[in-house]
Amino acid sequence: MPPFGIVLYVDRLSAIMLVISSVVLLGVLLYSVGQGIADGDKDTPLSIFHPAYLILAAGLFDAFVAGDLFNMYVGFEMLLAASFVLLTLGGIGPRIRSGVNYVVISLVSSVFFLAAIAIIFGATGTVNIAQIAERIAGLDFNTQLMLHTVLLVGFAVKAAVWPMSFWLPESYPTAPAPITAVFAGLLTKVGIYAIIRTETVLFPGGALQVPLMVVAGMTLIVGILGALAQADIKRLLSFTLVSHIGYMVFGIAVGTTQADAAVIYYVAHHILVQTTLFLVAGLIERVGGTTSITKLGGLLASAPVIAMLYFIPAMNLGGIPPLSGFLGKVSLFFSGAEVGGWLIWTVIGLGALTSLLTLYALARIWNMVFWRGAEEVADYESPLIDQLQEAEEDDGRVVTKEVPKLMIGATSVLVVATVSLTIFAGPLFDLADRASGQLDQTTYISNVFPDYSNAGQVGDD
Amino acid sequence: MQLPNDFVLFWSLFGRSVLVNFRKTTPEGSPIGSNAMITVLAVFGALSVLTPFLTKLLGRKVFLLLAAFVAGVFVWVLTLLPEIFANGAISERVEWIRQFDFALSLRMDALSAIMSLVVLGVGAAVLLYCTHYFSDAEPGLARLASLLFAFAGVMFGLVVADDVVILFTLWEITTVFSYLLIGHYTGLKESRGAALQALLVTTVGGLAMLVGLVLISVETGTTSITGILEAAPSGTATDIALLLIILGAISKSALFPFHFWLPGAMAAPTPISAYLHAAAMVKAGVYLVARLAPTFAENPVWVPTLATLGIVTMFVGAWRALRQYDLKLLLAHGTVSQLGLMITMFAFGTPEVTMAATLMLVSHALFKSSLFLTVGIIDHSTGTRDWRQLTGLGKKMPVIATFATLAAVSMAGIPPTLSFIGKELFFAEVVGESASLWGIIALIGVALSAVLTVAYSLRFIWAAFGTREEIPEPELHDTYKLSALSPLVLSALGIVAGIFAPLLTGLLGSHASTIGEVHELSLWHGFNLPLLYSAIIILFGYLSFKERRKVLRFQQRVHIAAFDSTRAYWAVVRGLDRLSVIVTENSRRGRLPAYVGAVVVTFIIAAVSTVLLGSFFPLEFRIMDYPLQMLMALVMVAAAIMAAVAKQRITAVILVGVTGYGTAAIFAFQHAPDLALTQVLVESVTLVAFVLVVRRLPSRIAKEHKASNRPMRIFIAVGAALSIATIAIIALSSRQEASIGESLGPLAHEAQGHNIVNVILVDIRAWDTMGEISVLVAMATGIVSLLFITDRLGTAPRMARGASNWQARARGTIMEPVTSTAITQLKPHDEEATRKAWLVAGRTLDASHRSALLEITVRLVFHPAIIISIYLLLVGHNLPGGGFIGGLVAGLAFTTRYLAAGRYELGEAAPIDASYVLGTGLLLSAGTAIVPLFFGMLPLDIVWWDFTLPLFGEMHFGTSTIFDLGVYLIVVGLMLDILRSLGSEVDRHQEEGMQARS
Repeated sequence: MPPFGIVLYVDRLSAIMLVISSVVLLGVLLYSVGQGIADGDKDTPLSIFHPAYLILAAGLFDAFVAGDLFNMYVGFEMLLAASFVLLTLGGIGPRIRSGVNYVVISLVSSVFFLAAIAIIFGATGTVNIAQIAERIAGLDFNTQLMLHTVLLVGFAVKAAVWPMSFWLPESYPTAPAPITAVFAGLLTKVGIYAIIRTETVLFPGGALQVPLMVVAGMTLIVGILGALAQADIKRLLSFTLVSHIGYMVFGIAVGTTQADAAVIYYVAHHILVQTTLFLVAGLIERVGGTTSITKLGGLLASAPVIAMLYFIPAMNLGGIPPLSGFLGKVSLFFSGAEVGGWLIWTVIGLGALTSLLTLYALARIWNMVFWRGAEEVADYESPLIDQLQEAEEDDGRVVTKEVPKLMIGATSVLVVATVSLTIFAGPLFDLADRASGQLDQTTYISNVFPDYSNAGQVGDD
Repeated sequence: MQLPNDFVLFWSLFGRSVLVNFRKTTPEGSPIGSNAMITVLAVFGALSVLTPFLTKLLGRKVFLLLAAFVAGVFVWVLTLLPEIFANGAISERVEWIRQFDFALSLRMDALSAIMSLVVLGVGAAVLLYCTHYFSDAEPGLARLASLLFAFAGVMFGLVVADDVVILFTLWEITTVFSYLLIGHYTGLKESRGAALQALLVTTVGGLAMLVGLVLISVETGTTSITGILEAAPSGTATDIALLLIILGAISKSALFPFHFWLPGAMAAPTPISAYLHAAAMVKAGVYLVARLAPTFAENPVWVPTLATLGIVTMFVGAWRALRQYDLKLLLAHGTVSQLGLMITMFAFGTPEVTMAATLMLVSHALFKSSLFLTVGIIDHSTGTRDWRQLTGLGKKMPVIATFATLAAVSMAGIPPTLSFIGKELFFAEVVGESASLWGIIALIGVALSAVLTVAYSLRFIWAAFGTREEIPEPELHDTYKLSALSPLVLSALGIVAGIFAPLLTGLLGSHASTIGEVHELSLWHGFNLPLLYSAIIILFGYLSFKERRKVLRFQQRVHIAAFDSTRAYWAVVRGLDRLSVIVTENSRRGRLPAYVGAVVVTFIIAAVSTVLLGSFFPLEFRIMDYPLQMLMALVMVAAAIMAAVAKQRITAVILVGVTGYGTAAIFAFQHAPDLALTQVLVESVTLVAFVLVVRRLPSRIAKEHKASNRPMRIFIAVGAALSIATIAIIALSSRQEASIGESLGPLAHEAQGHNIVNVILVDIRAWDTMGEISVLVAMATGIVSLLFITDRLGTAPRMARGASNWQARARGTIMEPVTSTAITQLKPHDEEATRKAWLVAGRTLDASHRSALLEITVRLVFHPAIIISIYLLLVGHNLPGGGFIGGLVAGLAFTTRYLAAGRYELGEAAPIDASYVLGTGLLLSAGTAIVPLFFGMLPLDIVWWDFTLPLFGEMHFGTSTIFDLGVYLIVVGLMLDILRSLGSEVDRHQEEGMQARS
């Protein structure tokens, strides 16, 4: 009986996260099997991929359903442990190097999370989220603020929020494409999910709205500038990933039910589209032999299907309507504008600017990789690319391989999924709206403790 | 359970939203009941998806089909006109996203109808022209046909959209289509660059407009355009919103300072330029201004901004048009100029001026597309568009020359054309009764640019069709008869419309008459001031053409850098790239320490600021429970600091170990034997693992970081420590309610256990344990993964013998000695050699590495240790112990075997693949979690049996013990994996390395 034992809590938000994650995990799994990085391939001889992948999935799911702060930590640990393994798959130098970055940062963030749990336990005597929420309300406002901040720091590292985001583009891109894809799509969203819960259940009231707004704006702009500097598509995508986290943080900071609905929709969009684009980057690497836009060319002619698969999600990420990236953004803007204030308008402005720069970065890829002829690549000079930074681990080698149908198939399915976010936008927003409608503290607590009423206390059963 | 409900709702909603499409939703009883416009748009969409396939079947003839469809829609819109004029508008609405009140709402009023006719009419003509312009072999023909056709549909949607979100959506889609179409010749660097330029420039404005639309929607509480116009908001927010929307309009319509992208877009195939960049897309901005002007003309920012930019644009465009050698560029700069003119005129929003602007808009669409198509014919026939290589075309293609001249007459605004009537109307209005300052300014601007327009129109005809003796006549190598049809019709329409203007008042004045009263159009108003203006303009225009050499020389002397936005564009793009490199490099400086530093510093700032905000440090708190606690703490602190400054790796490892053992001691003093025991064992295992790894690393820690960083690092470290300590003290002192831990004791008894820690692990919070053992499995897998694959692309680790596949080779390494090692020639299975040894594989080691005492001790200790570990596992529920502790003890027992006699000994001690141990363990634990489900219980529920065992006495066995056995096996498996990876495999690498050197 709660609060003893571990509460698992599934409301619409959790359910949405679970469904989206499952879709993405399945798609990426098929892609990996197609690519042959799953077990049995000569590059990864041991039975490593499948167990690690499944534990990653288990950890993700657990984090999304945990109604207990410590159990959420356990979920985080599961997915992190598995991600360490997946990130260093194959054990080549660059992967180990970026793996070390990733492991250290992840452990640091885990330490903060754990410390936050310990401190919250110290202050409230429980780790059950509903009970913490209930007890925390009785604490001094400033103590609440303190606990709130400490907890957010831990989550913000996971979600790659500025200024705790620099590690991500240094860690993700070196992994095999499908692994990067699943990390990019899902791992940061666990942090976002946790932040949503923090802001709605544990510490409602938006006490940290201003700092969250500031970091949202900084995340957006610093991230996207990073993307502009990259020649490597995977690194570029990692920076757009970080940047667009800012949109979600913005929505969370706005904090109205409407904004939360927009955030939920945006999370779904972002998971799907980032994953898909990383998978496409994997396809490009396969046919082009590299992911550096300075070395790629002529893919529209040589791989028209991949060109389509790139263009649709790229326009989506670039915020071109009526695709889901636009719908998510514009609904965030609208819900922010309803609240108003110069800070919110500044972040909306930065959001629009980020959208433009994202489009620039992605259209530049289209120009160079797909439009430009393969024969033009050598000694190509253009002000568009002369300042780009190559990835450090790029050894300049170009090794092309044929593309298995399964990889194309899996990617296509995900592209269709991203488009269906637009087609079913109406019902999906309905769902997101109802999901955000039950995020509030009272609903959460009374679902865990059925005899809870706002005024009363929980019995010691 | 909420999920199924959602599911049902989702589908029912989805079903509803599809159904809505087929239901009548028109408000106010407008004449067309069905969702006709939405259906038309849907057909446009479907047909454009099909177009690539149709192109495969029909080749370029597909354009004929597409043109027929567009023409059909054109006719359909014509049939709607009576109803529109009667009722004001036709509207349709389908809900889209209710939460934000976005709806697919379309509304066709007079302005929309006129725009639709322009867009569809010119669209049909251009598509028809394409049939002859392109050959079947044109690369990317299917893509082009599909995009061009879809563009017509999107443009139609744009001019009838009645929701700002829909408007913006279609607006941006035209931008993307334009990007793809400008880049049609993908092999040309210029065309790619121009495409990107057009995309970025129009999107800059587009996004600004989006923010403006959001602002004005929130201000008025509706996203409906009609609603916004009805609300007619004013105030600072509205001013800002309007400025942002203006930014969108002028970037789309290529007004100064965005005028540079349009000439660049001429890299597109000529029909594309004719349609997108003359007749349709660039008119979107004009349309938006026309749409908003009647409501916002009085707004303080509206007319001044638009008129200023419009006048500058019309002048700059015409000025440049006069300088061009490329006929297409001449027309493009002319378009820029005319767009400035149209926006200036529409901006005023008064009835007569609006009607004048409408005339200009229709007229421009007709003559400009006609002229573009003519240039396309010239280009195809002669292979060039540069007039310096053209001569005598007037004689060779007289029909075309005639109709082009008619179009140029329209362009110049010479009677009897629509544009002449339009300009007259404008002049009459701005100097008439409602004269205003901005009206006069606009008049001067329009007059000046009109002079230049007359000049460049004449120049165009002279350049395209004139005869210049000094150039050799170009050879014509293309028939053009059929492709001439579209330009002929378009240019004839311009003249006919001018002549029959009075009859067209109803249509062309329909929009203006919604604002106020308008007069009937006519060519001739008698001798008046406007006529005088026109005469002067035409005269000066002619003179500037006649004296073109002087004009050119003058132009060459005057170059206004401020109007050279292309350079500004590149400066911005390069600047952005530069900025992004600087920002990114700065944030990456220092790498990992910097990332960690950023996190920690953020934490410190967050902590300090919230504490400073007023979390009061408790005045009284217990500094320690007993003196020994403080002593242990001091020891740990000292060890931690020393570890941080240690120069030898091994020293650092041991010092870190001290902090761990210190924690264990504190647990012990706090009467938590389980925790203490676990901590000690974990610490030991960690130490072993560390030592195994550290032996292969350089013993000294490399000094990478400069000394200058030291104070900063110390500061951060001390800051973090103080922060966390302060927070902890404040948090602990603010506790108001009892810990749930205090209720766990009775609960544990209820769960039939006396050891609360173990009951928590296997019962109350067994779900956490499930997770944590998965972590152990992942870790074990990861360690193996790293050690057994050293190079993804290089050679595989060398194996002993005959292993057939990777798995067997990798897993088998431990079992089978490398026969070729220099260190040993012995095989462990050699009966003779091993019979008398204390440890079976002891002989595999070099004598200098062996210790008889160690081997004997290990031999004596190993089996009892295993038994103890099993004992700990079984009694865990009531006494200190449990699966985790038991597993660690067993693991340490294996460690001693390995340490005493090397890797073959490990293989002998645990002749089983560690992954099986791990798998079995996970299966047992997970099984204990799942099986109760089949008996109607909750996951992880526990079943108990009581029985008596000989040695152990009364046994109380629960399924929790099976769960704990799983934990035990996983810990053992992890230990084995650590040993065979960090131990055996590293040994082997080392030996191979030594061999390689020798």
